[in-house]
Amino acid sequence: MPHLAALLRVARRLTVDLASAEDLAQETMLLAWRGFHGFQTGTNARAWLFRILFNAFHAAARKPSVTVSGWSAIHAQTQEAIEIAEALEALPIEQRTVLLMCVVEGFTCREAAAILEVPIGTVMSRLSRAREELRKSLAPLAKEAYR
Amino acid sequence: MTDDELDQRVRASVLAEEVDTSRVAGAVRNRIQKPRRVALWALAAAAAASIALAAFLWPQIPPICVAAAQDHEREIVKGEPRRWLTDLSAIDALADKQGVPASAIAALGTTGYRLERGRLCFLKKQIFLHLVYTKDGSQYSVYLRPRTDEASFTNSVRGAENLAYFDTSHLTAVFVSNGANAQAFARAGARAFQPQMNADEHGS
Repeated sequence: MPHLAALLRVARRLTVDLASAEDLAQETMLLAWRGFHGFQTGTNARAWLFRILFNAFHAAARKPSVTVSGWSAIHAQTQEAIEIAEALEALPIEQRTVLLMCVVEGFTCREAAAILEVPIGTVMSRLSRAREELRKSLAPLAKEAYR
Repeated sequence: MTDDELDQRVRASVLAEEVDTSRVAGAVRNRIQKPRRVALWALAAAAAASIALAAFLWPQIPPICVAAAQDHEREIVKGEPRRWLTDLSAIDALADKQGVPASAIAALGTTGYRLERGRLCFLKKQIFLHLVYTKDGSQYSVYLRPRTDEASFTNSVRGAENLAYFDTSHLTAVFVSNGANAQAFARAGARAFQPQMNADEHGS
């Protein structure tokens, strides 16, 4: 299934556990399948799927993961991966979402704004704050790396 | 650490994590295919019900009419050799002997169709008086038999275009033609029989 891995990757960082993430990704794919007539050929299918994912996420009022002891940190393989996973989970959900969309999934700020249905200025400011927070969280790691 | 460096580290770290989509993909496929299976079963059930309903509502041709059509095909269309009576008084006598009222034959004579010949034949192991009428170069078979059963009375003409039949209270009449005019003859016959049928009803 195209884009399912990307959807599940983002869903894992929006929800509190793997089961919730899989439920969200599954619901997204089912909603897309049922509403495929609403998809306009030639437009960005990946962006369309992410928009469905975020709509489903907000509609279900899922509780975002806010603790640093989240499951993705547990599943990370290296010390740096653990630090980054924890730093991501410590971010407010809005900043984390924008960072995942723009930095990890490669959407432009304009595309992310359309997907998240917020002004592009909001996306840019959230992205800037997210980077700032991450920089603070990862500073000890950076010092270690540069020592 | 620049934005680009930070982004690169975050991207590399997140994308390095394994994502197992098999459970979600399987669940989605199950959810998608289940309604399809249900829909297919519903469609099949609806089709079967439609066929059953159509078979129930489709005009049923009585077996005796089918036998009459087959007899007409053999004796009139293919002209297999048979012994026919052509004398009208002899046909009347034969009809009388079989219990077919002479008034029925007389009534059919008023329809514009001309009686040409007649004989007895078996349809479904029952003896019928087979009369052959002509009109405009076409031949029509009429099979008459006095009714002995207690079936309900009806004089409505039914059947296909080249095959028609009706029952009176005392007579079964089957009309067969080569073309598509059997119903016209049958309706004319039914109208001609009407006074007789009324008389029979009043008399009984």
